[in-house]
Amino acid sequence: MDVQIEIQLIAVIVAIACAIPGVFLVLRKMALISDAISHSILPGIVIGFFITEDLNSPWLILLAALTGVITVVLVEAIQKTGLVKEDTAIGLVFPALFSIGVILIAKNANDVHLDVHAVLLGELAFAPSDRLLIGGVDVGPKSLWVMGIILMITIGLLLTFFKELKVSTFDVGLSAALGFSPVVLHYGLMTISSVTVVGAFEAVGAVLVVALMIAPAATAYLLTSDLKKMLVLSVIFGVTSAIGGYWIAHLLDASIAGSMTTVLGIVFMMVYLFAPNKGLIAVLYRQKQQRTEVSLLTFLLHLNNHEEETERHVKHLNEHINWQQVRSKTVLDLAQKNNLIAINDQIVSLTQKGKEFTELALEYIITNKDENIEHMKDDFFLFRG
Amino acid sequence: MELSEYFSQLFSDYTLRTITLGTAILGAICGMLGSFAVLRKQSLLGDAISHAALPGIAIGFLIREYQIDPLEKVSVLGRVFNKIVTVIQWVLDLFGGGTNTLLIGALISGVLGTFLIRGIINRTHLKTDTALGLVLSLFFGFGILLLTFIQKQPNANQAGLDKYLFGQAATLVESDVILMASVTGVCLVILLLFWKEFKILLFDADYTKTLGFNTRFIDILITFFIVLAIVLGLQTVGVVLMSAMLLAPAAAARQWTNKLSVMIVLAAIFGAFSGVFGTAISASQNNLSTGPVIVLVTGVFVAFSFIFSPGRGILFKQIRVYKNRRDLKLQKTLQFMFDIAKMHNDISHPHAIKILNNFQGYTRGTLKELEEKEWVAVQGQKWSMTEKGYDAAANLYNTN
Repeated sequence: MDVQIEIQLIAVIVAIACAIPGVFLVLRKMALISDAISHSILPGIVIGFFITEDLNSPWLILLAALTGVITVVLVEAIQKTGLVKEDTAIGLVFPALFSIGVILIAKNANDVHLDVHAVLLGELAFAPSDRLLIGGVDVGPKSLWVMGIILMITIGLLLTFFKELKVSTFDVGLSAALGFSPVVLHYGLMTISSVTVVGAFEAVGAVLVVALMIAPAATAYLLTSDLKKMLVLSVIFGVTSAIGGYWIAHLLDASIAGSMTTVLGIVFMMVYLFAPNKGLIAVLYRQKQQRTEVSLLTFLLHLNNHEEETERHVKHLNEHINWQQVRSKTVLDLAQKNNLIAINDQIVSLTQKGKEFTELALEYIITNKDENIEHMKDDFFLFRG
Repeated sequence: MELSEYFSQLFSDYTLRTITLGTAILGAICGMLGSFAVLRKQSLLGDAISHAALPGIAIGFLIREYQIDPLEKVSVLGRVFNKIVTVIQWVLDLFGGGTNTLLIGALISGVLGTFLIRGIINRTHLKTDTALGLVLSLFFGFGILLLTFIQKQPNANQAGLDKYLFGQAATLVESDVILMASVTGVCLVILLLFWKEFKILLFDADYTKTLGFNTRFIDILITFFIVLAIVLGLQTVGVVLMSAMLLAPAAAARQWTNKLSVMIVLAAIFGAFSGVFGTAISASQNNLSTGPVIVLVTGVFVAFSFIFSPGRGILFKQIRVYKNRRDLKLQKTLQFMFDIAKMHNDISHPHAIKILNNFQGYTRGTLKELEEKEWVAVQGQKWSMTEKGYDAAANLYNTN
């Protein structure tokens, strides 16, 4: 197989294997646990390397993954003492474990051909050079096999326990009541995340594993609220970043992992800005729209309250209702476009439709049920603010 | 070099003195500002910012090494960016910092990262942890892209870049220390000036707003100084471990006091000592970078505080639990005896000790203790309640 294709294949597999547990981490508000795990596996890797002398040995992966799970246990233990909050507990545990790893490497620099750089940053370009030989036959790069097996296990577990994971992610109480132990699922997820991080660090480095886990899931979460769609979307984002990142790195002669993350960053920023409902621009637009519509409502209520003509004069209205942010003209135009008011000789009066709307609006204000107002707007408005 | 040798040379050797002073000041300012981060539940902000600073460092490096203004050609925004750089550079020069483009780059990208985190939290439904993780990893990844790009360039002088990843206190020079000291000074002055505002914002943000303070301004001020401290520390402790430097002294100090001022002072002291001890240990051994050692020293401070602090520590808490349990046993036994004694006209009528055997709270120890308190009198195999014991038992639930 061509080296280029091999590298891209590894990148794609790593991206998918990271994206799946990432979705659940983001939904469970545990995104930073992945950061902690990715750093604190270092001592596990070093000790594993002492024993096995092989970065791709399954024993090393298990040992390092165990360190990851120990991190989670430690964080929870510290949190349980009530002395510090959860985020502080995370922030205390992983730098300490990481430091132990760095010192272990430094003290045994002669025996360990391990570089903290390599662990932190990884280098995908070298991955195909370490081949797996079965009976003397070259069957492909080792890391491709390692990540492939991890991905298979992840997908297998996801399909088997999808329902349980879904319930325990969104409703811990219900899941416990139905008999799926949230604790077992929690530690299962933590174990899978640890194994994935350990398997992936060689290719993309410990820090960028975090990007591959969180960014696709977060981007997908901005686009959908459906768990299945979110999983599919994050896998798509992961694969896009893997292939796009490879070619950008190729072009600039730079780190593949770095450019994969950069692609993820660009995709996230695009979605963050332009996502249809939850994107920044959509949110700002909706806020402006709502501000206009609230002003319109105030304006209509004012009209409803006042029979006398002086109160209903266009000029007077500008002063009377305190509109500093929203131009009164916008509101007036909107009301007229929607046939809620009629203007005769600068005097504003409610139309029949306007009266009905105001009545309903008053009722809404008294009962204060949020879901009603949107229906009302849909019924009455031809144009939105 | 032995540890004792280190301390004897501390005052004569220029390099050692500079490094030690630098790490001590760094530890102090990190402890001070870290207290705010910990109390505001922004512990991991430091982690995110220190990673987010990387692309800034890389761009700063590009600007310095190649004298190119990659942005100037692109847009008006680039020119504005360069103006800002010039102004900050000028301010830094004023403090004796020299032309440290890397620091300025780190500062700008750190601040940008902070704003992005805020934007994500405020404007979308993504939670704090996701926002922090996103900014941390995406900025860092972009930084790595730039760094590897720089490394492949011909004639790139890469010295100075690497140290930001893992930190190397040995590269500290006098101007760095002066810069740190000046920033610490400014920070102290601001802290004292806005003490009341900082404190009230920390504990009751809504109330602060109703009092008419500009919370946004105070908030940005604190965050800016936290970013500044992180950027200053990058060179010494490195990107990865900077967050611990910020958190650990504050988390340790928190265990000893409930008072903000005491906590800040304690955190600064813990931080400074961690810096000095960490430097001493790493200087006395071969092959040890300063960052990890300092972090482990702060870890020792934290562990010690968690266990031995009198008010909140695990040890004393456990002792209190044990003591309470024993008191409860004693009281239960007394209550049981009281119920028996009550049935007799003469309260000090003697009873066999045997009848207590079926009662859970009873042990030889509790009986002995009750006797020491003169609540019961023991004669041979019999016990009898005293007047004092009877009163005590009658009022058992009234006093506590």
